[in-house]
Amino acid sequence: MTTVEPPPTTAPELPWAVLEDYRCFGCSPHNPHGIALQFTDHPEGIATTFRLGRSYESYPGVVHGGLLGVVVDETMGNLIVVRTGQVAFTVSMRLRYLAPVSVGAEYICVARLGQGADGPLTSASAEILDADGATVVTATATYRNVSFGTARDRIALSAPEATRLGQALTTTAADASPDQSDQSDQPDQPDQSDQPARQDHPTAKEPQ
Amino acid sequence: MSIDADGIVRQITEIVAAELGVTVDSLVPDTDLRGIEGADSVRLLRVVAKVEQTWDVELEDDEVFGVSSIADLAKVVTAALQVQAA
Repeated sequence: MTTVEPPPTTAPELPWAVLEDYRCFGCSPHNPHGIALQFTDHPEGIATTFRLGRSYESYPGVVHGGLLGVVVDETMGNLIVVRTGQVAFTVSMRLRYLAPVSVGAEYICVARLGQGADGPLTSASAEILDADGATVVTATATYRNVSFGTARDRIALSAPEATRLGQALTTTAADASPDQSDQSDQPDQPDQSDQPARQDHPTAKEPQ
Repeated sequence: MSIDADGIVRQITEIVAAELGVTVDSLVPDTDLRGIEGADSVRLLRVVAKVEQTWDVELEDDEVFGVSSIADLAKVVTAALQVQAA
């Protein structure tokens, strides 16, 4: 009898991994209070499978909706990062909650790129599906693509960390788009949309 | 940009049929969505989510919760597409 092996699961290489102590609440394995999402490649983008416990409860047995915002934001934001090699700051995000998400149950979040990956703004969408494949949350968001040079001023990095992360993002950009691989480590281009990061939620990680 | 209103009604009918587990033939534009057997708030929200994904629009909540039929939902989608195209 012939058995069919499932296709191998590959994981996108997140540039933040070069920072030994990054503490992103969403995707760092080093934050004891975080949710430590791990991503895999998906035919439509990237995905993460997660199960949230009672620490993230809202009504009894129901995951807090704000945490689901973290999940979709992380998945969309990291998708943009691995596709562009640029840092993605969330500009706006909108969720539609279709059904309660249960504490302790397994779900998958899938993110897809929208329009504008080549411009200053990129849109993305995501959905969270339950074990039966039913959609329980949909989300759309807009991100501002920022070169590492610009982002560097807004995130707390030591000089060696900045060097490592800059190199990692350059590698990510090269892998994502070989034609543009020499752009990510260029000095900053004038950023006409650049305003103080008053309400930006840094999908870029903030090591402590 | 011209908007195919009939096409929108047809596609929404197909979405409703798929999400609520009924046949397309059992639905007409004036079908009361909440009166369809098996319809509940979760399933109707899934219809809305699918509609938003299909046309890449974000519908306002007060519009979404105000619709009662396929034709109503089609009007909301058409209006959103017109705003998008403006």
